[in-house]
Amino acid sequence: MTIDRWLRIVPLRFRSLFRRNDVERELDEELQYHVERQTEENIRQGMSPDAARAAALRALGGIEYRKEQVRDTRGTRWIEELGGDVRFALRSLRRSRGFASTVILTLALGIGVNTAMFTLLRGTLLRPLPNRDGERLVYLRQSAPAAQHTNVLFSVPEIADYRAASKTLSAMAEYSNVMPFTLVGDDGAPVRISTAVISGNYFDVVGLEPVLGRLTGVRDDGPAAAPVAVLSHQFWMDHFGGDRRIVGHTVRLNDRLATVVGVLEPAPQYPVRTDVYVNTVTSPHHLSATMVTERTHRMSEVLARLAPNVTVEQARLELDRIASNMFRDHPEAYEKAAHFEIAVSTLRDAENERASLMFWLLMGAAAFVLLIACANVANLTLMRGVGREREMLVRAALGAGRVRLRRLLIVENLTLALLGGAVGLLVAVAGLRLLVAFAAQFSPRANEIRVDGIVLAVGLVTSIGAAVVLSFVPRIGGERALTMPLAPAGRRTTLGRGRQRVQRSLVVAQIALCMVLLTGAGLLVRTLAKLGAVDTGVRADHVLTMEFPIQGDVLREIMKQPENLARYERMRDRIAALPGVDIASVATGVPLRPSMMDLEIKAEGRALAPNEPTPHAAFRTVDPKYFAATGIPLLAGRGFQATDRRGTPLVAIVSQSFARQLFGDQDPVGRRIAPTGDVLKVTPFTGDWRTVVGVVGDTRDRGLENGLTPTIYEPFAQEFIVNGALVVRTTADPAVLQPMIARAIHEIAPRQLIEHVATVEQIRDEAVAPRRLNAMFIAAFGTLAFVIAMVGIAGVLAFSVASRTAEIGIRMSLGADAPRVRRMVLGEGGALLAAGVAIGLMGALLTTRVLHSLLFGITPHDPATLGAVGVVLAAVGVAACWVPAARAARVDPAVALRAE
Amino acid sequence: MSKPTDLVQGTLDLLVLKMLALEPMNGWAIGQRLKQLSADVLQVSDGSLYPALHKLEQEGWVTAEWRQSENNRRAKFYSLTRAGRKQLQVETGNWDRLASAISALVRLQEV
Repeated sequence: MTIDRWLRIVPLRFRSLFRRNDVERELDEELQYHVERQTEENIRQGMSPDAARAAALRALGGIEYRKEQVRDTRGTRWIEELGGDVRFALRSLRRSRGFASTVILTLALGIGVNTAMFTLLRGTLLRPLPNRDGERLVYLRQSAPAAQHTNVLFSVPEIADYRAASKTLSAMAEYSNVMPFTLVGDDGAPVRISTAVISGNYFDVVGLEPVLGRLTGVRDDGPAAAPVAVLSHQFWMDHFGGDRRIVGHTVRLNDRLATVVGVLEPAPQYPVRTDVYVNTVTSPHHLSATMVTERTHRMSEVLARLAPNVTVEQARLELDRIASNMFRDHPEAYEKAAHFEIAVSTLRDAENERASLMFWLLMGAAAFVLLIACANVANLTLMRGVGREREMLVRAALGAGRVRLRRLLIVENLTLALLGGAVGLLVAVAGLRLLVAFAAQFSPRANEIRVDGIVLAVGLVTSIGAAVVLSFVPRIGGERALTMPLAPAGRRTTLGRGRQRVQRSLVVAQIALCMVLLTGAGLLVRTLAKLGAVDTGVRADHVLTMEFPIQGDVLREIMKQPENLARYERMRDRIAALPGVDIASVATGVPLRPSMMDLEIKAEGRALAPNEPTPHAAFRTVDPKYFAATGIPLLAGRGFQATDRRGTPLVAIVSQSFARQLFGDQDPVGRRIAPTGDVLKVTPFTGDWRTVVGVVGDTRDRGLENGLTPTIYEPFAQEFIVNGALVVRTTADPAVLQPMIARAIHEIAPRQLIEHVATVEQIRDEAVAPRRLNAMFIAAFGTLAFVIAMVGIAGVLAFSVASRTAEIGIRMSLGADAPRVRRMVLGEGGALLAAGVAIGLMGALLTTRVLHSLLFGITPHDPATLGAVGVVLAAVGVAACWVPAARAARVDPAVALRAE
Repeated sequence: MSKPTDLVQGTLDLLVLKMLALEPMNGWAIGQRLKQLSADVLQVSDGSLYPALHKLEQEGWVTAEWRQSENNRRAKFYSLTRAGRKQLQVETGNWDRLASAISALVRLQEV
């Protein structure tokens, strides 16, 4: 079609729509003109004026009829009639309130859940990174899988090598967030903050901008630069209340004064949530000699930008090659048996890694729920459609075409679906906060989740899609059916065989989907139960823990061992004297939280098997009462004693699993072990031999599902103290004791930071909480689907009973008694249930495999879960069928037959 | 009520386009002219002209404007657009083919 024509057609259509009165007036005038001219012509040919006019009108064939014909040519009638259709739809829905509200609520749940999940997905996984050219950013990860090190970070010499050799990366930025930092602002109160020491080019490489002040640049690198700090947007808002005057202020970071030069724009923080970014000079440790020259002193993450026209795959190949050269040139830094390797992924993939599976799974579950909701609404519509078949026939008889009838249905369903969608959207918006909290566990981008135009559009499209699908479920009848004479008593209330089959299949599908969802929920709940039963190796009740770390320039402070020890022992003793405290113990770490340090350990007289990586263990220093306070059992030898101090022979205690790893079945007590490896150069610990004096039970510090944690314990009083942690066994309620303990600590060190206060029960719970949230989410979906499906099957049976009243009446008059009728109806429902459960069982076997990584202690095909869900589904299903069955059994044959 | 046209389906459009190709005209005049030119052979009902004209207008083949008619009254005058002129050629071609095919058929010798 030519543009020329469109330029004429489009304005005409608009005119028909928006200048309707003008168009109508002109049409009238045009036809009037015709009549007048024809009348004149007729008079000229000798007719009387009246006859002439009558003849002219007759020749035209009825002005109103012609006008209608002309109106049909405009192609805009459907819009004009839409208003009428909507009014009609509202009127007809108001007449069947029960139907309308059930449908709207069902759809609201389905659409609401989907909108919420899509919001989640869009905010985290689907939206491009806010970084400039974010798709070109890559994240490098060095690991030693054979030694169970998933991320060993990079050292300064390693980064220098990659930088010098790589042509596929145009720029590399360093990011180191491993040193503990405390920040002291104008108010003088210390806070522990998450601080990243970054190379000056960091922000330039990752492509982020300041909202205030400036970010760092290369001039901030090196030992001669002035200490500067950049605040993250979140920290600026939370801690400084978004005060714009903060730029130019100095803050104390450990023992350095740094100037706040700017505030970073809001951006996802990966790999670690960060409050403050500082240049290297702010962290003396990062300028120390070993840090700069030691190849094994690995403290930095690396983010890089791909060179133009380079793919991730090319970068991966190149870095692999550079890495193998490096491993060959420096064998002392890369133990062969540990299998060092380097991985390259896009920053986006790295950020989404943990969220991906979970979120898509939930999106799938949401789609399931919508599917079930639609199936149920389709059933309801179907039943209503049967009741309306006569209505449709009457309308057809009055001149409504098939298209018109279909349109009427679409408008009705659109009204329902849009109302449902609107309610659903409210549900989604209301749940947004919860959603963000949930998502934050999996994705650094959770704070980007919001309802935007795209989300609204998807909600709208979902609603319209549901409406269109629903509109094609009820039968309007073919041309033939519509021209059927209206039987005098033509009030058909049964469905044709085909329709019945559709309706039943929908119910079966609902039950099957429900079975799949509930099985998923069941597996997650059983996982929770299994986790709850896991023996952590640590006593759970009445044990309070907290950390009171070394403050200031940590590396310098920890060298002051005697002062630190004296201070911590004074604090411990004062706490031990508090009423309600049974045992107080001080250590470098809290049980069940990952140890700050993990060292390679060698055993005297034990050679490594070929290809065996050097064993490594969590390294903890604890005081003599630690094992009593935590309830970790002493299995062999002795515990630590007050005499195990500096100057006395070095001793160690090992956990049972580590003893077995080192010594097999031999008695470890009396054997000698020592920390080893290059890493000793950067820790204050010596590689001297320590005599094993005891064996204690194992603990699970890396999460309940992650097996035992091989651990080596040394006396708190014998080693350098890198951190302070308190473990208190109480007789009183720990919550009551907590403020008293804090007061006792502050009496000795008024500025002492106290953090991570938690009972062992709470620590355990923290580990399970995300899983509980997951299980609750899936279970909520499953329950929703369950309720909808039960309403569905009961509805179908009720309908079946209602339409078979006459048949039941006949059966009963022929001798069927009430229990027999009830059995008949129950059998009908039972068949549907059985089919649904059977299909659902197969579906569950096929799909629960995706849950694999979320399960613990059970297989995805756990027969107990499958069986239990099947039985519950069947039992509740039969109960749902009981209501219509009972109604059928109450049918009075005389009444039923008379009504016919 | 009479159908829109007693003519072969679609030929009314062709006739109207042809009339307007001669000169812009109002509806009544088109009817008169058709009768004259076909010597009353083609009986186009007055009424069916208007839906046809409006359809052609909505399709963009013809355009309309209000002008003074010969007896000094306002009337809606239709004229061909450029697209309409092309459409006339197309439909004329169609008609020629149809007409020659039909006349060839009816002239077949019966045996």
